[in-house]
Amino acid sequence: MKAVSFTVPGICGQGLHFQINGFSLVYLCIAVLMWVVSGIFSLEYMAHYERRKRYYWFFWVTLAAIAGVFLSADFYTTFIFFEIMSFTSYVWVAFDEKKESLRAAETYLAVAVIGGMVMLMGLFLLQNLCGTLDFERLGEAAGEILKGGFAGTGRPIALGSPRVQLYVSAGMLLFGFGAKAGCFPLHIWLPKAHPVAPAPASALLSGILTKAGVFGIIVVSCVLLGADAGWGMLIASLGLVTMFLGALLALFSVNLKKTLACSSVSQIGFILTGIGMSCLLKAVGEDNGLAVRGTFLHMVNHSLFKLILFLCAAAVFMNLHQLDFNEVRGFGRKKPALLFCYLMGALGIGGVPLWSGYASKTLLHESIVEYAHAVEKLEAAGNLGPWAGDPAFWHRAEWVFLITGGMTVAYMAKVFVVLFVERHPSRQKEFDAMSAGYLRPLSSIALVAVSLIVPVLGLVPSAAMDRLASLAGPFFRWGGHMHPVAYFSLENLKGGAVSLTVGVFLYILVVRAWLMGKGDPRYLDRWPGWMDLENLIYRPLVRAFLAVSLLGCRAMDSLADALILAARKTTHSQVFLAGAMGGKRAAKKKGGSRGYRFARVLALALGRLRRSGSLVEESFSYGLMLFCIGLCLTLGYLLVAFFRG
Amino acid sequence: MNEIGEHVGLLLPVIFPMLAGAGVLLAKRLRDDRGKLVKAVILSLVAEAALICVSLAVGGSLAVWELTANFAIVFKVDGISRLFAALTGIAWLLVGAYAVCYMSHEGEGHRFFGYYLIVLGVLVGLDFSGNLITLYLFYELMTLTSLPLVLHGRTKEAVMAGLKYLFYSVAGAFLALFGIFFLAAATGTALDFVPGGMFTGMAPNASAALSNGALVDVAFDGREGLLLAAVFCLLAGFGVKAGMFPLHGWLPTAHPVAPAPASALLSGVITKAGVLAIIRVVYFVVGPDVIRGTWVQDTWVLLTLLTVFMGSLLAFWEPLLKKRLAYSTVSQVSYILFGLSMLHLTSFVGALSHVVFHSLIKDGLFLCAGAITMVTGKTRVKDMVGLGRGMPLLLGCYTVLSLALIGIPPASGFVSKWYLATGAMASGTGAWAWIGPAVLLASALLTAGYLLPLSIQGYFPGADFGMVKGGDGQEAKSQKLSAWMMFPVLLFTAGALLLGCFPGRLVAMLETIGSAVL
Repeated sequence: MKAVSFTVPGICGQGLHFQINGFSLVYLCIAVLMWVVSGIFSLEYMAHYERRKRYYWFFWVTLAAIAGVFLSADFYTTFIFFEIMSFTSYVWVAFDEKKESLRAAETYLAVAVIGGMVMLMGLFLLQNLCGTLDFERLGEAAGEILKGGFAGTGRPIALGSPRVQLYVSAGMLLFGFGAKAGCFPLHIWLPKAHPVAPAPASALLSGILTKAGVFGIIVVSCVLLGADAGWGMLIASLGLVTMFLGALLALFSVNLKKTLACSSVSQIGFILTGIGMSCLLKAVGEDNGLAVRGTFLHMVNHSLFKLILFLCAAAVFMNLHQLDFNEVRGFGRKKPALLFCYLMGALGIGGVPLWSGYASKTLLHESIVEYAHAVEKLEAAGNLGPWAGDPAFWHRAEWVFLITGGMTVAYMAKVFVVLFVERHPSRQKEFDAMSAGYLRPLSSIALVAVSLIVPVLGLVPSAAMDRLASLAGPFFRWGGHMHPVAYFSLENLKGGAVSLTVGVFLYILVVRAWLMGKGDPRYLDRWPGWMDLENLIYRPLVRAFLAVSLLGCRAMDSLADALILAARKTTHSQVFLAGAMGGKRAAKKKGGSRGYRFARVLALALGRLRRSGSLVEESFSYGLMLFCIGLCLTLGYLLVAFFRG
Repeated sequence: MNEIGEHVGLLLPVIFPMLAGAGVLLAKRLRDDRGKLVKAVILSLVAEAALICVSLAVGGSLAVWELTANFAIVFKVDGISRLFAALTGIAWLLVGAYAVCYMSHEGEGHRFFGYYLIVLGVLVGLDFSGNLITLYLFYELMTLTSLPLVLHGRTKEAVMAGLKYLFYSVAGAFLALFGIFFLAAATGTALDFVPGGMFTGMAPNASAALSNGALVDVAFDGREGLLLAAVFCLLAGFGVKAGMFPLHGWLPTAHPVAPAPASALLSGVITKAGVLAIIRVVYFVVGPDVIRGTWVQDTWVLLTLLTVFMGSLLAFWEPLLKKRLAYSTVSQVSYILFGLSMLHLTSFVGALSHVVFHSLIKDGLFLCAGAITMVTGKTRVKDMVGLGRGMPLLLGCYTVLSLALIGIPPASGFVSKWYLATGAMASGTGAWAWIGPAVLLASALLTAGYLLPLSIQGYFPGADFGMVKGGDGQEAKSQKLSAWMMFPVLLFTAGALLLGCFPGRLVAMLETIGSAVL
């Protein structure tokens, strides 16, 4: 489709600049769909909360903000709406005002504000470097700079050279957007904030707010830097680490919503890997269509899956007010609608063939394989770039990808068994009795309708998904011709099968055997409590920085006061005055016989003499001191004048 | 000199509030009758606002009095005067409306309002000053007449704070006076304000100014070092009022002890008098090209950046709300000075727009703080929990103003920060070009850290709030603020928000001013 752009001049100084292209159109539709569905769900979910009004107000304002992000056509506009979105979504996280919610909200806000400020610094640099923040023109400007190499003024890698500055600013933008996307090591807010927010809001936080961060990373990677191998390597590595760690956290989690939140981190890792692969493939001159399509389709899929899964969690929480696996066991039994919706989400996210997640994961997998082949070929030819990675690395990366896929299957199976297979030791009857009225008809219709999209997309991937992906091509700066992918070929099914097998083994060997208590089958939280990046590193670091700078700033703050105090204690001492007044009072108190009075008069006279003496002395010394200072200054001036000719 | 007749009206907005203030101070009838006092004050403020409007529209200049060639009292209205005078007038009118209600709780209203009006006249005089001598005269007057506002509480703490204010200000003024002596002696003029400065032949309209006789071609051969030292004395001296390190110490002491309306004006407007003086010195007397690239510029930038960071950090650790806001002022006014020190058009625009925005925001924030303390009796941020239940609108204003000060788009602080930082980056000042914006952003982070907790604990006091304290029903009840107090806060908030969304005309005006001097 042809992109339509329009500007609103003058707002916030530089004016807003929007563009509707294929990507933004698709994401706008997804945003509206998600908001409508979770809005419908909220009606039921929020019915028993106080202060609903503020929830709904910030709910809709955030929709406007996120629409602004996806429609933006320059970073200035992106930043404005991004910040609005961060602050309005804060209200969701802090909404129920429980202690852990407030703490999670604090983390969320801190990450958002720090990310925003670092991003802003990156924008300053970029604006200064390229003279524009417009996506269209940035690509050209950055291309010129990237051609220039690292050489600055004489040195091979000069810190001030435009290319280094470009990388620095791109890194800062990555920090800001990555913090929102949940990219390692800035994912810390995600597993904490998502579980405490109201579940319909968690669906949006996971499903689409993280995508606003991904949007920014795509612009930086595909539009700004385009075919930069080093950058692609960075993003792909971050993606692989994020994907694996997220899945690991999800596997260990014993909380329904936390599992889903960690799963989001992991899935964002898949998406980032795809972005990295598209940069790398472009860098070696291959067609990066597979990576681009995989990335975009996985974004769309993940938005849908997380909407469905979080709303399923919402249905559980609405009825039980519990999320712990040991407490919600067996809730899903005899609830076919819930079972159907959960299965659609889980099979989709697990990458099972015939559901839509399979298609996007296959594309991403294929892009890694394609790149590994390309690297092999380059190595054989002997012109492997410094940042391309060697074939062994990419074969390992492929395995990380497949194993993470297996972990996804394992943790989704874990949740499935908890909700739909196992029985609650004491409350099962009560749970079964809820089967009739656990969801209002409106909510279940909305949920089931969304769930239907997943198999529909998955059954006809070439017809539905490829067409969707081709819409987004121009946004990723992908100009290649879309050739059809044989999704259900033996080669591709093999990848899915490997993941599924790994998943089954992981579930049996890790979840059943190790993560559950022996004898009493309870789910145990075996993740060591101290292994928490936030409490282990970030908070102490921030606190230490603040304390150390406090010392310095206090010293600066009291510098002038201290000098004045020192002067009053020494050169400008007023102690004689105080002494005189004290003496008078003491004399008044005594005042007795005549003889004594005579002595007193004498003493007073002596005192006066001494006082005036000291007064003269002090004035003299003061005058002398000033004179000396003046003399020193004159001398200094003369010396300076002398030496400077 | 027959022009005098035409523009003698310029005297009016300066003299009128002084007379009105003296009247309020002296008239016994106003002292006893609060209703009449209120009427008199509001009437004079409105009349003064009208006078300022008229004189700004008419413009022109007026030589009031001339003793010798280099000692003349001259008024002249130019772009900078318009900006600052308009700001002063608006702030005084709105804060005055608030104070009318607020001061009924403090007592001694006539004394407060008497000096309140007098300071207004002095400030307008300062804004209208046409040369450095006039500026200095009104600058000293401002210190003296605003002192009673600090002393108003008459507690020991207030008196000590007042004395500190006085000593720091006088010390700063003397430092500046040295510079003035030097410049006046060297040029033999009263240091008239010429856009672009009089010591440079590179000013855009140098030739025109030369033909008018306004530009003095002073040969500083061999004495550049001394000239720079004099400029630095002027900067450091006038920097005292603007709270620039190392002589910022009076600000966090004096602002919190004054009554809230006075703190608002001290922070929002009177610190800007220091900024105005520095603008006049650098851009209208000396000329930016004289200090460009010299040690004076480097030291100046360093001092402003140190102040920016120090102010924010100390505000972050400060438990008392009003004192926290005062430290915040130390930091924020140095944002402005940083923008000026870059000597670049874009950051100059950023600095001037931050003058406007910070003035609106800080006035509003201090008024919020005063209202909160008046209603709840609490002064520590930590104790101010759950304000959103009783005063949602006031806390909403506080939150919007805070976001504006942090620089969250689309509120106004973002716009000024954008111009400040992009200007600094383009200024070609070496390492400062990126250290500066980095420090500004680090300080913005701290700003979020010290302003937002009040909003957060106000709106999200915790699920058990109100249950633990048992008898908190009183706080949970809606605490009605009088419209006289709420309305000014709302207007400041609206200004801080809307000027951020639609800064076009303001920025265009500032660019006109800036391109005349740079």
